[in-house]
This record gives sequence, C-alpha cells and structure tokens, in this order.
Amino acid sequence: MTTLNAPEATVMEAQDALPDFTTAEYKDAYSRINAIVIEGEQEAHDNYISLGTLIPDQAEELKRLARMEMKHMKGFTSCGRNLGVEADMVFAKTFFEPLHTNFQAALKEGKVVTCLLIQALLIEAFAISAYHIYIPVADPFARKITEGVVKDEYTHLNYGQEWLKANFEASKDELFEANKTNLPLIRSMLEDVASDAAVLHMEKEDLIEDFLIAYQEALGEIGFTSRDIARMAAAALAV
Amino acid sequence: MFGLIGHSTSFEAARLKAMELGFDHIADGDLDVWCSAPPQLVEHVEVTSPVGITIEGAYIDSCFVPEMLSRFKTARRKVLNAMELAQKKGINITALGGFTSIIFENFNLLQHQNVRSTTLQWQRFTTGNTHTAWVICRQVENNAPSLGIDLSKAKVAVVGATGDIGSAVCRWLQARTKVGELLLVARQQQPLLDLQQELGDSRILSLEEALPEADVVVWVASMPRTLEIDQASLKKPCLMIDGGYPKNLNSKVAGGGIHVLKGGIVEFCRDIGWSMMAIAEMDRPQRQMFACFAEAMLLEFERCHTNFSWGRNNITLEKMDFIGAASVRHGFSTLNLQSNLQATAA
Repeated sequence: MTTLNAPEATVMEAQDALPDFTTAEYKDAYSRINAIVIEGEQEAHDNYISLGTLIPDQAEELKRLARMEMKHMKGFTSCGRNLGVEADMVFAKTFFEPLHTNFQAALKEGKVVTCLLIQALLIEAFAISAYHIYIPVADPFARKITEGVVKDEYTHLNYGQEWLKANFEASKDELFEANKTNLPLIRSMLEDVASDAAVLHMEKEDLIEDFLIAYQEALGEIGFTSRDIARMAAAALAV
Repeated sequence: MFGLIGHSTSFEAARLKAMELGFDHIADGDLDVWCSAPPQLVEHVEVTSPVGITIEGAYIDSCFVPEMLSRFKTARRKVLNAMELAQKKGINITALGGFTSIIFENFNLLQHQNVRSTTLQWQRFTTGNTHTAWVICRQVENNAPSLGIDLSKAKVAVVGATGDIGSAVCRWLQARTKVGELLLVARQQQPLLDLQQELGDSRILSLEEALPEADVVVWVASMPRTLEIDQASLKKPCLMIDGGYPKNLNSKVAGGGIHVLKGGIVEFCRDIGWSMMAIAEMDRPQRQMFACFAEAMLLEFERCHTNFSWGRNNITLEKMDFIGAASVRHGFSTLNLQSNLQATAA
C-alpha cells in the first residue's frame, strides 16, 4: 500500500479556506461573476418565455420556470449589493452574446430542440455546476441564496431532459448538431471566466469537470449511449 | 450489481486505452484535459459463479492517472466523482481499486460525504482490503512450501505491518498458520509497539535488519523508487510477496533464488468478457484481477451489501474467514508461483 505525503495534503487542504470577501481584488472579480449570474438568470427567464411560443401547450409550465429564474436574478442582485459590488452588466452581455445569438437564430427557425439544448441543458448544467462549486466558498449571505437556487435549477434541467427524452428519436440528429455548435461556446465561456473564478476560489478544472458531469448525465437521461455521450462531450474538453 | 472503480497505470496507458475505445479527442488531450475529464462507466459485465449465481457489474474509469497524485484536489475530485457515479447508477457494492482507496484513506475523504447534490452512502463501497489480506496470507501458505520453506520455522517479515492490510496479514499469520516468527517493519513506532503487544510473539525490526533474516517478505508498504535492496544479503530461497501498489518489486530483486510473486491477485475459474482488466497489466486479463475488485463481486454473490472493508484496522479474522470461504465457493483461486512460471514460459 503506497502512502502519500500527509503534510503536503494538509497544506493543500488549507487552500479550501474561504477567500477574503472584502478585498478590492475579490470585489473586482465579483463584479463580473455576479453580472454573469444575473445576466444568465435574465437570459434564462427570456428564453423560457420564448420557448413557450414554440411549445404553446407547455407555455404555462414554461412561464412558471421563467418566474423562478426572475426570482433567482433578484436573489443574486442582492448578493452583489450585500458585498457592495456593482455588477458589470456590459461585460456579462458580451459574455453571453454568442450563445444568445445562437438561441435567437434557432428560435426564429422554430428549432425547439436546439433552443432546449442551449437553455435547458447547456446553460442549466453550466449554472448547476458553477453554483455547486461556488457554495462552499461563498460569503454566508450568497451561500444561502445559492443553495436555494441550485435546487430549482435541477427542476429546469429536468424539464428539458424530459421533453427531449419523450421526443428522443426525432430530436437526435438536431441534438448532435446543436451540441457541436454550442458546446464549444460553453467551453470558451468557461475559459473567459476562469481567472475571475479563481479569485473566488473556484477552479477551472472543477468547473469543467462538474459541468461535464451534469451535462453527460442529462444526455444519458435523454437516451444517448455512453459512447455517444463521450464523443459529444469531447468537444468541451478539446481547447 | 457490483462496481469496480479503477484507473490506468499511467497517463500514457490511459491515452492508448482512450484511443482504442474511440475517444480520440480525450486521448489527444494533455494532462490538464484529463484532469477535467469526468469519470466514465466504461463497460458492463456478467459473471456466473460455479454455484450458479449470475451477477452483473460495471467498470468505472475514474480518469485518474498516477501523474495526478501531486495534484491533491484533482485526485480527491476524481475519486469522489467516480464514487458518485457508481452510486447514481444504483450499484450496490463498489470496490475502490488501485490508488483510489489510498487517496480515499490518506486524503481523508470521509470528510467529503456530500458531492454536489449527492450524499455518498458509504455502505455502497469497500476498499476490498479484507480479501486482499486473506489472499496474501494464502499466497504465503501456498507458495512457501513449494520453495522448500518450512513455514513453521520460517521468519516472515511484513513490511508495512501497521497498515490496514499489513496488520490483518500479521493477525492471520499469527493465529491461523504456524509461522516461525513474525518480523514487523513499519515507519511509525507507536503503532508498531501497539501491534506487537496485540500479537504477542513477534519482533520489531528496521527494513535493513529484517530483510537478511527473512525467509518470506510480505510487502504491503510504499516502496520508494530509490530503494536499493542488496540481493546478496537476502536468504536463498526467499519468497517475496509484492502486495503493494503499484507492483514494482520484480524489477528490483527477482532472480537468483529470490522469488517474487504478485500479491493480492486472484484468478477466476472462467473467462470474464471484459476488456478493462488489461489496463491493470494482468498476465491473464480475462481471468485475473486485484483481490479488492473480486471482493465487490463476492459481496454481490453473497448479497452482502455493506462496506465490508472500511476504515483502518477493522479487519478481523472472522471477516477474513467469511470472505475467504466466499472466494473459494465462487471460483476464485490465488495467484501462485507455478502459474507465474507457466505464464513466463508461455
């Protein structure tokens, strides 16, 4: 049995400690991360309302999801206020621009599957993984808010999953295609946010792996084989 | 269903395997890419024991490679994520193979029971150490006589005597076999003194003192790469059971009356239709496997869904009896020198 170097492990463990929420460096990074989260929830709200126009019989349910996203947005806005940070919304708009454009294009063409993949799978999986990693290193106020939000987001991921599962055969080809186009965008978004996230003690490696776990799990639930899933997910690993 | 959590023996081997499985994008990635790769359920298998029970199992590759050992957080995440996947797949009992149980123990992963929204249920996991310890003991009993070593007169050194497997091996050899004398070797003095007190008749020695005296050496400790063993000072014949991980003793000392046997390896009575054991560098990957993996199978055969081997120094003789009897009943045999020689000759 090999023994690892225990003192080294102790030193590394210390890095799990909370960041100092009061430093200028933390607040600067938080102004962008907080904005991304606020903008993300706003986009999610708008996207669910838009999806309701494509799936009219689900419009009520989608409105309900959209309302939850709005509530999240308000929660996260208060997190920034609590730390005395002004969210950099211009940055966040630019951050979401490519994904936003793709969603709007799909919406125009009436592509429900692509819209669901972008919002209900990719963005939700991205949010869930980031929130999970944020919770242990968040300030006490934001921690509480985020813990509440993450529970809701699972139901949203589940919504997209269930719809795509019920329509799996008809959706499969479009899902492959939409994954190919949009997953690399998520990867570059993760790259863009990495240095700010690191200031908040959230590591890029964790973000990518946790995102992939949530995304792969959703693809599995929908009906893809593990080989398909590994192939689809590979697009996120290759830089 | 039983589960096995494993990993490749090196980054290079992992890339080759990924290529073989058709995961080219991951195969081409550098170590950073692998550090972010989630665990994968690679294959399902079905195994039927000689008593007619059929069980299903799954192999989960944690995407950990030994090159990640220096990255504490990565290693920790790899193990926890693989465990979460096993639990989410509804696997009843999963063995932590290779470095994963070592990481679990040494990085104190018991403190990390919550992985995202999942609370890990420890009873679904086993280190497999009870079976490993039993197999190593049987390997000593079976192979020493074939080299002309009379166990009742032999001095048996256990290197890493105070570890989970080491202490179990000491207890068993003392109670169930008539070994001449146990030589206890470990780094920390206090646990050694405690063990000696528990065992009674045994001696504490340094590695340098123990090796020249020993007829049988059981290695269940880490072996620094720089460790030099003076072969001339060893007894001949000498049986060395390489029970550590990874197994690298053969390259250091084998030959000239020194017989090295891979410790803690078992062979099933028929071929198993899996491809993943090849990455563990077994001589007969369709049948051979680490005893810790086999423990998960045995617990599934016996419908004993509990964390049978867990924590440190909890392995009792009764547990070793139970798992040993199950091992024999369900068609496992321990690797011994003869089959090693045959394999080499072939």
